[in-house]
Amino acid sequence: MIELETTPEIALDFSSLVREHQSMVFSVCWHFLHDRELAEDVAQEVFLKLHRNMASIQSPSHAGHWLRKVAVQRAIDAGRRRVRRPQVALADVAEPVADSRVGDPLLKETLRRLIATLAETPRMVMILRYQEDLDPAEIGRVMEMPVATVKSHLQRSLALLREKLTRRGLREDRWIG
Amino acid sequence: MDWLEQELKEALARKEPSADFASRVMRRAERPERKLYRFPRWLAAAAAVIVLAGAGLEYRQYRGEQAKEQLLEAFRIASVKVNHIQTQVQEVGK
Repeated sequence: MIELETTPEIALDFSSLVREHQSMVFSVCWHFLHDRELAEDVAQEVFLKLHRNMASIQSPSHAGHWLRKVAVQRAIDAGRRRVRRPQVALADVAEPVADSRVGDPLLKETLRRLIATLAETPRMVMILRYQEDLDPAEIGRVMEMPVATVKSHLQRSLALLREKLTRRGLREDRWIG
Repeated sequence: MDWLEQELKEALARKEPSADFASRVMRRAERPERKLYRFPRWLAAAAAVIVLAGAGLEYRQYRGEQAKEQLLEAFRIASVKVNHIQTQVQEVGK
């Protein structure tokens, strides 16, 4: 067990931090990269970086913020480095069946694929908003951008998603039935 | 939060990595870090400066030798000519 004394009062246990935050770190990477293997590799690098920087971590909550920020940076870097694979074209996104309802797994997959087609910044903003449930101010702090920019990305991405779904014949009234 | 945002929240819910993810991280973290020897940049720059300066000096020496050879050759040609003229002048005087 790797345990480092960061302050006299707080002893942070690295393995506990891994177990506590692994789904957060992995999910940020996975939703951003859409590649499970690559997401696990990037998540592993994030935790190894934490391990090297344990001395600078002051508290468990600090570790959480630190991990989220590093995961965001590393996922974006990995996305840029990745050999360009054929991007998922909107035309290739599976069309949900006409009687989709809220909670439909096919609809969720369609949404994930549509998000994957967004540019990197709005994609990460959407992930932090809806995966991590962060408000625009918190997203701004993590991504080091003004709150107004975060809000603008959110509004534009939501409008774009609505438009794409409507174009595919999916309207709110049909979802809710 | 409207229907789309609710759907997004569910679509982007957190997922778990592989079951052995944490143990793989721990194994890698416990592995002693390999220290790769990195050649210091200043040393590389200094070596490049020395090599370039040495090459420059060598080149100057080579050009100097070439100039010396050319000068000696010119003196040889000139001395042949001067000897020839001297011989002719002496013959005229006889």
